[in-house]
Parts: sequence; structure tokens; C-alpha cells
Amino acid sequence: MHSLEQLRNDALREIESARDEKSLEAVRVKYLGKNGSISAWGERMKTLAKDERPVVGKLLSDARNTVTAAIEQRGAKIRAEEEFDALAKIDISLPGTPHEIGSLHPLHQMHDRAIQIFRRMGFALAEGPDIETEWYCFDALNTPADHPARNEQDTFYLPDGRLLRTHTSTVQIRTMESAPPPIRVIASGAAYRRDELDATHSPQFHQIEGLYVDKNVSVADLKGELEFFMRELFGAETEVQFRPHYFPFTEPSLEIHVRSKALKSGEQWIEVAGCGIVHPAVFEAVNQARGDDAYDPEKWSGYAFGLGMDRLAMILFEIPDIRLFSQNDLRFLRQFA
Amino acid sequence: MKFSINWLREFIDLPKDPEEIAELLTRAGIETKRIETRGANIEKVFVSQITATSRHPNADRLTVCEVDDGSGTKRQIVCGATNYKVGDKVPLALPGAKLPNGTEIRKSKLRGVESEGMLCSPIELDLGEDASGLLILSADVKVGASIADIFPADTILDVEITPNRGDLLSHFGLAREIAALSGQPLRLPPAGQAPALQKSSVNLTANRECPFFSLRRIDNVNVGPSPVWLRAKIESVGIRSINNIVDISNFVMLEFGQPTHAFDADKLKGNINVRLAHDGEKFLALDGKTYSLKPDNCVVADQDRAVGIGGVMGGEETGVTDSTKNILLEAAYFLPASIRRTARDLNLQSDASYRFERGVDPEMVLRASQRAAELMRDIAGGIPANEIQVAGEPPLNLADVPLSYDKCDRVIGVAISPKTVDEILMRFGLRKTAGKSETATWRIPSYRRDLRRDVDLIEEVLRAYGIDKIPGRTRGRFVSTSDADRSHDLESLVLRERLTTCGLSEVRTSKLISRTASALNEAVELRNPLSEDHVALRPSLISGLLEVLERNIRAGAESVSIFEIGRAFIPPSGKEERHIGILLWGNVATTPNWRSQTRRTLDLFDLKGALECIVPDLLFRPGRFAELALAVEVWFGHQLLGFGGQLLGSKSSATGPVFVAELNADLLLAGVGSAKTFRELDRYPGITRDIAMIVPEKLTHAEILRVIRQPAEPLLEKVQLFDLFEVRDGGAATGPGKSLAYRLTYRAKNRTLTNEEVTEAHAKIRERLKRELGVTPRE
Repeated sequence: MHSLEQLRNDALREIESARDEKSLEAVRVKYLGKNGSISAWGERMKTLAKDERPVVGKLLSDARNTVTAAIEQRGAKIRAEEEFDALAKIDISLPGTPHEIGSLHPLHQMHDRAIQIFRRMGFALAEGPDIETEWYCFDALNTPADHPARNEQDTFYLPDGRLLRTHTSTVQIRTMESAPPPIRVIASGAAYRRDELDATHSPQFHQIEGLYVDKNVSVADLKGELEFFMRELFGAETEVQFRPHYFPFTEPSLEIHVRSKALKSGEQWIEVAGCGIVHPAVFEAVNQARGDDAYDPEKWSGYAFGLGMDRLAMILFEIPDIRLFSQNDLRFLRQFA
Repeated sequence: MKFSINWLREFIDLPKDPEEIAELLTRAGIETKRIETRGANIEKVFVSQITATSRHPNADRLTVCEVDDGSGTKRQIVCGATNYKVGDKVPLALPGAKLPNGTEIRKSKLRGVESEGMLCSPIELDLGEDASGLLILSADVKVGASIADIFPADTILDVEITPNRGDLLSHFGLAREIAALSGQPLRLPPAGQAPALQKSSVNLTANRECPFFSLRRIDNVNVGPSPVWLRAKIESVGIRSINNIVDISNFVMLEFGQPTHAFDADKLKGNINVRLAHDGEKFLALDGKTYSLKPDNCVVADQDRAVGIGGVMGGEETGVTDSTKNILLEAAYFLPASIRRTARDLNLQSDASYRFERGVDPEMVLRASQRAAELMRDIAGGIPANEIQVAGEPPLNLADVPLSYDKCDRVIGVAISPKTVDEILMRFGLRKTAGKSETATWRIPSYRRDLRRDVDLIEEVLRAYGIDKIPGRTRGRFVSTSDADRSHDLESLVLRERLTTCGLSEVRTSKLISRTASALNEAVELRNPLSEDHVALRPSLISGLLEVLERNIRAGAESVSIFEIGRAFIPPSGKEERHIGILLWGNVATTPNWRSQTRRTLDLFDLKGALECIVPDLLFRPGRFAELALAVEVWFGHQLLGFGGQLLGSKSSATGPVFVAELNADLLLAGVGSAKTFRELDRYPGITRDIAMIVPEKLTHAEILRVIRQPAEPLLEKVQLFDLFEVRDGGAATGPGKSLAYRLTYRAKNRTLTNEEVTEAHAKIRERLKRELGVTPRE
């Protein structure tokens, strides 16, 4: 009869060389089965002297445990190998299961990007209707009848005398009418001009309007905050230039131009927004409508701005023709999925 | 407006580089849109005189000219123009000349006739827009002189003048502004001997619309072509040359910003009246059109009729012609608002109205008149009267404006010393009339009618000080979420994200719809549409979605799954509602793919699925809509949200069914807006049992579901339909019908259910189906 140690070593060697589960099972039966050679030592124990039994018993249980563990380990390895082999046949270069996911319109994405930045800057959203009165669109915005900037030629009118807002600045008035200062809002929406549709003009376009009214709001605030916005939108390297301009409802009025090598326009300054310090006449009109003196121009000041979203989207997404936005060719929309 | 740099240089020294001038102006808010050069590099082009002409032997449209090029030899030139006569002086480009448009002149044969050069039109030399014939030079130029000497090279700035700055609409005005911005001294234009003012026979009754009016008689003028310099000057900035008198009037306007008008004095009858028009008074203007006037239009009239719309346009019948001998020269100040209203009402814009409606300098009226009279004397040989007849008074100067230095600092956001503020304002022509340490009062120059309040002065300070020098500042302010914020976020989360996940793409269609689209529905129409494509406000999103469908089908799309969220305008008032529109058409899978099992077309249940993806518990009820072949109403609780269904085949040119839905998004989002709260997770396993049944075709899923669910079985958690197919013969009981299979899940919150409990509950439901619907459930 072989020694237990010999049996254990033989068993481990045979386990190691078993190539499949069947031969591994054969090894198990040979050593640990009912008539297995290690099992046989169990019978033999009974014939041993009493004082030998604990020593041999420990040897026997060690051998059994070691061999059992080796079989388990080897078995797991064999099964894993079989799984590897089975799956290795799969052509992993086949395309993944397609999921049809829709896309958001590039103009919406542009609005969303701008809104996210403004929200980080602490602006809340405001709203106003597309159909407006002359009061909200012109009079309250310091553009009285017979003012050269009041371009009725460019304004769509309804038969009842109301009009389609020519800018989202109407929301400035609506917001101030409904709440006292301080105010810090943006409004995003459509505006309309009586323009023929071509590559750069559309009778309906989209703007984001902003208004901040507080104590001592100055050109420096306007400059610092809108510079921040432009760099967030166009990239940290963007140069921002403010140029004097004219709008009836702001004084001083400014135009914002940006330049960035990251943009397709490269070295060229491009106009992206109009802005300025809210004209005291606008506050006076709001006070008149409110019937109080909440917006006392000597106590409060504010800045306002308007961004053309179609233009911004065209710049950022390098879209050559404004008509692509309203044509909604799915091949176009999918490019922005 | 276009400005000639040569012309500006008459008033101020300017940097050599036009870009530098443009930059200075642009940074001060006077944007230079374009810089063009004119008349530069014209070499080998000389003044020649036509000495003889004859017809080209081989070409009807050509003539053969003999010209004197000043060297004594005659040259033979073939020419296509017809606007000249023998004796005219014209530009001759000699062989070797290179014209501004790139043409190189060579000695050549044209249809068999030798041509030793080319006679040039204004456009060929970049000296004007006229391409219709040769540039006829004035008789006083010397034959053989270089054209480059007669037309020195110039740079033209195309400048955008904002509507508040009427004072910049002239060369002198812009030069004055550059002087203020740059500190360069301004050279004042020559002012001749001022004529005596005479209270006149002019009867000024429209004194609100025309506060000040003047006329000066100039006798014995010779109307003819303008001298070369005058013509070159006005044409360089885009004004067409007419004759010397009209050109002088335009020249003075371009120089000083004050429009004037020359009447043929012999065609006027009696005294001049400046009055309001009679209602419906007819007027034939210089543009050849007849206008019907209104009582708020100011006219200049003789004793019989209107001869000019004041400040807008003169009359055709009393204008200067070649036979005019004596002139009445009008120069006046018109009320800007009145001019604007008149020009707008008559839809008649002119260079004069453009300036008057922006406000001219009242102090320039007589000076411009004097300048024009002198030029008419010098150029056209006219004899100006010693007196100028005036009526009314120039408008008063603007009120003085007080400015607090502290406010200036507050608005700009940086401290600027009072000394700097004073210097800047004085450079712009303002004068300090009173000054304390905190506040000064400023007199406004007559030409700056835009400076009315302290903020207007602050803007001037900012422009001259330089915005670049203002350091930007950022401060925080916390604001609360607004209703608009909540609505925006809900729209993004619930509508946009879910629908794109369902595979739909967002579109944005025009809110202005076409005549054809608006004919389908009642819609709020525009009073003044510009084109047939945009005549009304959309009452619904569907017509826009259908246009997108058609466009994409034309582009070869096999499938269109789109949605739009936007405003609709409900007639008759145009009430604005936020709507969501969905359109589905075509195949489910758009790209061939190796995993796909079936290829089917989108149908009503895909539409329902998309809507249920937004809100799971919508109710769908049969409805009727004129444009839908199959219509369902979409309800949320007791609120009707909108409709959906399959479009009538005739409403679209698409092959195969088109499915549309349109819901009121405000109502929809109001329903889903409430916050979600935690519900305990299931702790005990559920047990499922299936029921399959064959039922008559007419029996609906909803009815079966109702019977399964009511009265409520407390252990029944959910019911799912997992199979449905048609059966030709359902046996004697049903005839042709359909087979439906449901999986019912039973669960108790507090214990593991026993098989017996479930069997009992399930049997009750089976029993109910048998009893109430007469169907035989199969296991």
C-alpha cells in the first residue's frame, strides 16, 4: 500500500493533467471514491494502534482536503476554459444592436446652452407673448411713434392693431410691470421682422433677452458679466469687444463683438449681441404703467441685452444658411443628435 | 452713408491708412461696413477729343472714331457707345493700360478694323456706376491730361450711421466727430458774404411741421452738365449726376447735411405757401409717381397747387430742366416726426427725408443756402439775389443738461475725474454754463439734438473715454426659481428627453404659415404679410409637421418620427398656447440591421406608445376630426389634452398612413408636474397566471380589462396583454374573432401568497369573464 503522501502527490499530478471534466471525475473516483485509494486508508485506520490513529487520521484528512480542493479548482478552470472556447467564436466586429434615439433641434440646443450659462450666473427665466401691443414693443421701450427707430415697415401687424414682437425686449417691460426691483431674468423666444427669407434673414427668428436691475448696475457690470458669458459660450480664449451703438431703450448702448481662433471666422470680429444700460425713460414708462415709483431711475439702474440665437447657432455649429433651421431635413437634424 | 476720404480731408487731417480711420470710428460706435478704393492706379488713360466718327463697315453696333490724344497724332478707335458727339472729350485708354476691372488694353482689330486703344465709360474706370456710355468729360479739361490727375485716387468709407446721429450724415459732420474723438483741429468750411434776411412773401401756415423756411432767387443760370470735379465728388459717394443745379444741391447736402431744393422759378405762380395738404390732394413728384396727400403732410405750394412735399421730394412739374433760367432755392427746417410720418405714410423715402427725420442742424439752414447760391453763381453763372426770404424761426436750442459727476461714475462703473469729463464734453462742442464740484450744466450744440438727458452725456463720455478702459465687474445675486423656470425644466425632462429617447427628432417649424396652410384652418391673419408663405399665425402645429414630412420624403427618407414643442395661436383672439405635436410615418427601423426580426411600418400604437412614454396613464377615447380618418381624443383625468390619429389619405401626399397628434403642453405638464414620492418596494414574491381567450372581433381590450379589474380583486397587481392575433374561426360561439392572452400578476404586500389563494382569486376572474362576456378562457 502506498503511503498517504505518495497518494496525495499522485492525485495532485493527475488532477493537474486532467483536460476535461470527465477525466477529472475519473481521478476523483480513483482516489476519493468509495473504493478510492485514499478512501481505503479510512478502513486501514481501524487496524492501527490506538496511539497511531490520531496522527494518521490527521494525515488522512489533510490529504483528502487538499485533493478535494485541487479537484474543485481544476474543475472551475476547465469549465471556464470551455466557456472561453465557446464564446471565442463570436464575431465581435458585428455592429451593436441599434437604438433609434431622436435628436433635439440645434436651435433648442443653442438656447439650452445659453440658458445653462445664464442660470449659473444667477438669472431666472421669464416669458412673454409673441403677439404684443405697440406699448410693449415700442412706446414703453422709448421708441415713440414717428421715431426713426420705430420701423413699422419691418413689423407684422394683426388686423386689430396688435403686432408680432420685433424683439424679445417686450419681456423686459412685462417683467418689471409685474415685480419690483431687483430683477435678474432672461427670456428666450421668437421675434418677427418683415424680412424676405434668404440665407441670413428669416421673418421669424429667435432671441434671448436679459435684464438685470439693481442698485448701482453699471457699464462695468454689463461688461464683466457678458464677457463671462461670451467666454463660457465661445471658449476661454475668446476676445470680447464692446462698441458703442444705438438702441432707443438703452443709454449708453453697446454692441458686443467676439473673435476667437477656435471659430471658423478666425481673425474676424463678429457681432453677437446688443446691450446697454436701461434708459431712464423705460423705467419711467414702467412706473407709469405700474402706477407707482418702484423703478425710480435715480435709485435703480439696470442693464439689458439681446442675443440672436439663430446667428449664434450658425456661428457655433458652422451652419451656412438660416433656412436649414426651419426646413428640418432629418439628415440635418441628425447631425446634431 | 458713403464718405469720401479726400472730401473729409478738406475739413480735417486724417491718418494715411483708411483702416485706422475706420477703426477710430468703429470703436466710437460709428461702424464702417466697407472700405473701397476708387480711381486708383489708372495709368495710361488720358483725355482725348473725338475729332471724327464713321460707321463700322462690318458691324451695325460699332462706330469708328478718330481721336486726338494730345500728342498731335490722330488715333483710330473702335467704339460701341452712342452717347457722344464729335468734339466731346472722353477718356482714352492706350495700349498697355490696365483698367481697374482687370482689362488690359491692346492694339487689336475689331471686326477687321484696327483699334488703337479704348474709350472708357465711368464704370470701366471705377469712377461711377454708369455703364451705359462713355464718360463725357467737361469741356474745360486739357486734351492729353492724365485721367489720374483729374480723378485723384480716393477711398470711400461705407459707414452705418445710427438713427440718433443725424448730425453725422454729411462730410463736415463726420469730420467734426472725428475731430472730437481724435483731438485733431477741424477746418471750418468757407462761409461767404451772408445775404440780408428779408421777411418775405412766403406764407408759412404749417409752422409746427416747418418752423423755419427760406427761399433765395438765383437768376440767369445755365443748366448743363456739372464740371468734372463736382460730378466725380457726388458720384464717388453714390449719387447720380443729373445737371449742375441738382448736383450742387446734392453736393451741399453731402457736405453740410442740409437738404435744399431748387425750383424752376418761372414755373411757379404767385406766392409760395408752406401749408398742410388738403385731404386727397394729388401730387406728381420728381420720381414720376402721383401721391395722394393727407392733411398732416406738409407741402410747399404756389398759388395753384403743391409743388413739393416739404422735406421729402419736389414736384415733377416745377423741377429744374435744361431750359430752366431762374431758380428759387429752398432751404428749411422740418419737424423730424412730421417728415417721418409723411415719408412712412406715402412710402416715399428720399435722401432729404432721411436727414430731416433724423434732425438737421437748424443753424446750418442759411449757411447751406448760401453755399449752394455761391456754387450756382460760380458753376452755373447764376446771379443770386441780395436777399434771402425767410419765414418762421429756427427751433430753439435744446435745454441745457445738468450732469452729476457722481452719476456718471455710477453708470459707467469707474471713477472718471471731472476734468476728464469736462474735456470730453467740450471736445464734442458742449459748453459748461454753470458748474459746481458735484454737478455741471451743459449747453448743447445746435447739431446734437440727440443729447437731452444726463445719460446721453454719459454715453459721450464713455465713447470718448474708451470702453476698453472700463474694467469688467462680476457680482453675484441669488434669484428664486420662476414659474417659467419650472415650466422650462419640466418641458426638457418630460417632453424632450422622453420623446428623443423614444426615437423622435425635434423640429422647429415656422409660426407663420402660408396661404395654403391657413386655408385649411381658421387662423389669425397678418394685416401686412410680406409673402404668400407667411400670411397667418399657426393655429396648430400639424401643417408645419406635414411640410417637414413632405420635404423629408422628397429627400428620400423611409421613416419620419418627429415632434415639435411651440406656441400655437388660437383664433379669433390669437390666444397663445404651448402645444406639442407629433408625426409618425414610414418604417419602424430606418437602417437595415442584422438583428432586426421584423420590418413593419409605424402605426397608431407607436403614436400611443410615444404619448404614453410622456405620461403613462393617458386615456384615449374615440373622437371625430375632419382631417383624421381615425381619430382619438387624448385625456388626462378629466382634462381633454388634444387629439391624435391617422390622417386622411387626401391630406398628405405620403405613401402609407401618416399618424399625428397634437396636445396642449401646458395642460399636459400641469398634470405631470407634481413631485414624486417613495413607495415601498415589494418584499414578497408575486405569482403570475395567464389567461388566453378567443373573443368576437368587436369586443375591445378596454372592456376585457374592465371585467378583469372590476370589482377590484385585492391580490391582483397588474394585467399585461402579451399576445394578440386574429382567428378565422373561433368556433360556434364567436365566429371569426381574435385571440388575446393576458398575464395577471398577484401579490400581497404582507406575505407570500399560497397557490390556493391565487387559484381562488384567478378562478373568480375567469368566472367573471365567462359570465359577463361569454368568453371561454383557455389556460
